[in-house]
Amino acid sequence: MLRFIARRLLETIPVLFIIVTATFFMIRFVPGGPFTAEKAVTPEVMRNLERAYNLDKPLWRQYAGYLGKVVFHGDLGPSFKYPNRTVNEIIADKLPVSLELGALSLAIALAVGLTLGVLAAIKRNTWIDYLCSSVAMIGICVPTFVLGPLLVLTLAIHYGWFNASGWYGPIDRILPSLTLGCVYAAYVARLTRGGMLEVLNQDYIRTARAKGASEVRVIFRHALRGGLLPVVSFLGPAIAGILTGSFVIETIFQIPGLGREFVNSAFNRDYTLVLGTVILYATLLIGLNLVVDIVQVWLNPKLKFE
Amino acid sequence: MCGSRNSDGRWSGLSPRRWFEGTGLLSVLGATRPTPIQITFYCACLCFFAAIPSGCKRADPAPDAPIPQVLRISQRNEPADLDPARASLPDELFIIRALSEGLVAPSPDHAPPSPAAAERWEISPDQCTYTFHLRRNARWSNGEPVTAADFLESYRRVLTPATAAPKAPLLFMVKNARAFASGELRDFSAVGFLAPDPYTFVVRLEHPSSRFLAYAASGPWIPVNVRTVARFDRTWTRPGHYVGNGAFTLAEWQPHQRIVVRKNPAYHDAARIRLAEIQFLAFDNGDAEERAFRAGQLDVTMAVPHTKLDSYRREHPAELHHAPLAETRYLTFNTTRPPLDDVRVRRALSLAIDRDQLVQRVLQGGQAPAFRLVPAALRAPGDSAAHLGSAFRVDSAAARQLLAAAGFPGGRGFPRLELTSWMIGAPLTEVIQAMWKKELGIDVALVTREARVHVAALRDGHYDIGFITAIPDVADPANLLDDFTTGSPGNYPHWSDARYDALVAHAALTPDPTLQAGYQREAEARLLAECPLAPLYFNATNWLMRPAVRGWHPDALWTRFYPDIYLHED
Repeated sequence: MLRFIARRLLETIPVLFIIVTATFFMIRFVPGGPFTAEKAVTPEVMRNLERAYNLDKPLWRQYAGYLGKVVFHGDLGPSFKYPNRTVNEIIADKLPVSLELGALSLAIALAVGLTLGVLAAIKRNTWIDYLCSSVAMIGICVPTFVLGPLLVLTLAIHYGWFNASGWYGPIDRILPSLTLGCVYAAYVARLTRGGMLEVLNQDYIRTARAKGASEVRVIFRHALRGGLLPVVSFLGPAIAGILTGSFVIETIFQIPGLGREFVNSAFNRDYTLVLGTVILYATLLIGLNLVVDIVQVWLNPKLKFE
Repeated sequence: MCGSRNSDGRWSGLSPRRWFEGTGLLSVLGATRPTPIQITFYCACLCFFAAIPSGCKRADPAPDAPIPQVLRISQRNEPADLDPARASLPDELFIIRALSEGLVAPSPDHAPPSPAAAERWEISPDQCTYTFHLRRNARWSNGEPVTAADFLESYRRVLTPATAAPKAPLLFMVKNARAFASGELRDFSAVGFLAPDPYTFVVRLEHPSSRFLAYAASGPWIPVNVRTVARFDRTWTRPGHYVGNGAFTLAEWQPHQRIVVRKNPAYHDAARIRLAEIQFLAFDNGDAEERAFRAGQLDVTMAVPHTKLDSYRREHPAELHHAPLAETRYLTFNTTRPPLDDVRVRRALSLAIDRDQLVQRVLQGGQAPAFRLVPAALRAPGDSAAHLGSAFRVDSAAARQLLAAAGFPGGRGFPRLELTSWMIGAPLTEVIQAMWKKELGIDVALVTREARVHVAALRDGHYDIGFITAIPDVADPANLLDDFTTGSPGNYPHWSDARYDALVAHAALTPDPTLQAGYQREAEARLLAECPLAPLYFNATNWLMRPAVRGWHPDALWTRFYPDIYLHED
């Protein structure tokens, strides 16, 4: 297993290198720069700005300088848009917010999704199944930008139980994580149901029942482990999706998370912040996929690391 | 993500049929008989969505409690920095003006600038030298006195090329300032700033000007405490480090969340300040902002979503406010490309646009149709003319004649040009496209680009017709007119006219305000006659504000005036 992990980590290096290089040059070739505004700046000011941010140097030297700083010092450079902060500071500031939102949403998604999925599978083709599956269907169909404002209109504006937006106290965590969690709960529920149904038809479940194992033991000890496989393979990209794709939720609830920085940095042509967030997200995605592969082998005895 | 497993254990794409079967949705649609429980469930779902309340009820606070003087304002753009030298957006100045003040400050209602750090000033008879007398009781928030040397060093910092101050040109009126900022001049003592004693500050101008005070009230003229800047370098604007000379001090700055400023008891005019605290809450989305206002989290919003305007007009008119802006939105014609190099074509296109229709039917936000470039807030007193020289009132017959004279009778043979805009232009450009089709018989293609891509295309001349906006930095028509002189970076039409350039240059060198305004009007009339651009409308702002907020002065240039604001519950 260690060899497997070591090999995968080694493969990561060229992947990241290609991502960084491609992003660096792509963002530079996009028309408009960090200092482009509808009120055009005078030539002397533009010269001063370009010199201050090293944009007057040849592109390959900027690239070499950037790569050197990132690799040898872990320094992602100063932000173009926010001159009093570095990209490292911005990420250190915003990533915990996104992680907290993601963790809470995931907890909700798993708690609700697994319960609904398992219930639906056990009570297959009964009204419980239909109820659970319908809830899951609605969760998948209703996008976050509909569910979020609906929750705000009812619970925040009409009943006044929550703030409509912001990320100040613990109470402000509820609506956003509920919104984001519901969508993923829906997927988890459907995948769990499907996975469980298939496992419950397997011979080894029949064997377990024949040997007199209690239904609870059959479900949780034997069936769930196999039934969770599709959920686990979904979770890797889902966690990355929750972290990178929280842009919509962060905008609806005005949460100071990394998702908004990621998207807005591209609009702002904040070259260093674009690169910093891309590197971070790429690393996250690669890392999470590795974890998923390991967990899948652990859950499914049919798979091997080679 | 939406895959399911087949019975043989392989992954497969999900067929719609299987998808629906699992959910029971098909049964409701008639595939099988629904059970009573299913029906109950769907009814419950329907009720939930139907019962979403549209009103905005909310428990009121205790009636006897004195209302806390805490103002909560929406901040729509996260400030890039709170350094006056680095600020380039009005949004940054919203906060900077609460924290610091310049020699003079802008006044509400287009009144001349009022005393701020300087309590009075003298203007030399030749209007070239301004002598400011600083307040002796003015203090920085760290207790140090505010002296003339602070202003001198602050302006040296703004003009130093390494500072790369984006709005440094607002200081270029000062003798040799431009040369120093461009690096041609190394000796700062040759720049027209002088601090003969700690409480006297002298500014010498390159040319006599009656408009100088408007510039001296602008953002980059706000001083910084240079010792603090030297000590903390780029982090000096953070809470705990920030030192200002204004009515409030920086208490909290959580990026993209909120900025809190508290009343500065050491401020020289502290007795006049009634607000104890201002919270600038970050919003980058109009709908979220409006929801927060309805939930009682905000006192003042930055805007109102277009779709909500009507319901506020009907149901909560006391909370809806409106003010004109000094912002002209216009179409720029790329005068280097045929057939737009022909003034008759440009004029025909401009004449075929019914601006009243645009404003009343499309925009509906209280904007005013524009028949000239300079908005009302920037015009000289007494200049109330809506039209200047050449009328732009819709005149399809004249437009068709001009187009025919240019060689395109009935629009025949007219090339298919592109009308480019950025995101916010969409409904407007569609209507203009239809007007041109109907009145002139010509087809244009609509192109929408991301904002910076759009501006870069206009700057580099890679466009035919572009929708863009002109926002002046200060209340001076020259600030807009300069953009269309030959070679100016804001000259998006890439237009060059010797007569226009001469008139603008002549106006800049004329100290007499009346004569200057006359030349500027003449220059503007020339611009409108040559039609490198077609003004469309003067923008306006709508915002929501609780009736409890008093003393709020709207401003066409987005300046905020905090001293008069307070909260009062009836």
